[in-house]
Amino acid sequence: MQRHGLLGQLIQHLCCLPGVGPKSAQRMAFHLLQRDRKGGKNLAETLLDAIANIGHCQQCRTLTEQSLCEICADTNRDASLVCIVESPADAWIVDQATQFGGQYFVLHGRLSPLDGIGPDEIGLDQLEQRLASGTIKELILATNSTVEGEATAFFIGELARKYQVLASRIAHGVPMGGELEFIDSGTLSHAFNGRKTL
Amino acid sequence: MTETAVYLQPAFVLQQRNFRETSLIIEVLTRDFGRLSVLAKGVRKAKSKTAGLLQPFVPILISYVGKAELKTLTTVEMADSFAKLTGLALYCGFYVNELIGCFLHKHDPHPEVFVHYQSCLTRLAQEATLEPALRTFELDLLESIGYGLHAETNKSSIRSASYSFDNDRGLVADTKGLLSEKTVQAIQLRQFNDSQVLSEVKLLMRQVIDTHLQGRQLKSRAVINKLIKRSET
Repeated sequence: MQRHGLLGQLIQHLCCLPGVGPKSAQRMAFHLLQRDRKGGKNLAETLLDAIANIGHCQQCRTLTEQSLCEICADTNRDASLVCIVESPADAWIVDQATQFGGQYFVLHGRLSPLDGIGPDEIGLDQLEQRLASGTIKELILATNSTVEGEATAFFIGELARKYQVLASRIAHGVPMGGELEFIDSGTLSHAFNGRKTL
Repeated sequence: MTETAVYLQPAFVLQQRNFRETSLIIEVLTRDFGRLSVLAKGVRKAKSKTAGLLQPFVPILISYVGKAELKTLTTVEMADSFAKLTGLALYCGFYVNELIGCFLHKHDPHPEVFVHYQSCLTRLAQEATLEPALRTFELDLLESIGYGLHAETNKSSIRSASYSFDNDRGLVADTKGLLSEKTVQAIQLRQFNDSQVLSEVKLLMRQVIDTHLQGRQLKSRAVINKLIKRSET
């Protein structure tokens, strides 16, 4: 049902969020207007502020409101270790889950020949400049485990080799607590091929 | 499109696109039903067991239902073990997928193209040089859809020493042509061991494919060229 007026407009615009359909949007709109007008106001102001001010970090291309993000500006972090990820969300997750003490580089996508996404679209110029400057000693390639992610990792690995920088790929395989019986055959064969010596 | 359900059809994923929160629309090449689009619901969830299978270059058996243009995936399983494409071969695989997307119409079954595709992937994964596999596939694909290359050798009793490609007539004897007789023979036999032959066939195939694409650009070729240029400089 399409409602007109401001309320209808609000519900419709809330639907732009991922995972929010008309029903959830309706709940959100009514909740904000009936129970939490102050929260709604804060949300609106922060949202406007964020959209206006958050840009990309000059060094790692992640989302930040400063010219250098917190991670790149942190002098305690090891600038010679760089983890390559596809999206700012991935950088966030890796940082939360691991004790990684280096910096990140966000591609904002992956090499996808079928969609015409080449090296220029994912900021490889910038990465190459950093590799050429000689400050990086190791690249950790944490692109997704999809065919395109692998293709991207391969190409960046080649770039790293050109500048004599060590490149490593994150491991893929059996999840923690996983039982072999229930794992799909593709993952299992990958895990088997990438086994480690004890 | 009378089939409403197809069971365990051999297929390869050519391309995938995200759809909504957790679904994918995959373009597949099936053996008996040609190229078609299938909606795979809920495969991008954390606990999905099929996301790993619905990747390009993995031989799969798919079952799907639906009367409309877009089918709905019901089950998928791996057909058999396969050799993984790595490195440059992977990019060549994307190129081959794009060729299929350009040259095969949807719902137009070509079981022989499926076989050629399968053997091309195996060769790309196993052979040291990638070009012979690509050239063989290009020629086989064009032949299957009616654009085969045959030299006009019957017309004149004397065989010509050089040939060139004519848009309307195919390979024709031409004294100024850039293709040697050796190359033309290699094309018929699909044997590309000679580097001279390979480079001639490469230029020829590029011309032939561009002619048939009628101005449409191959995205994967542009990306691969950029990548090669970048890794060389």
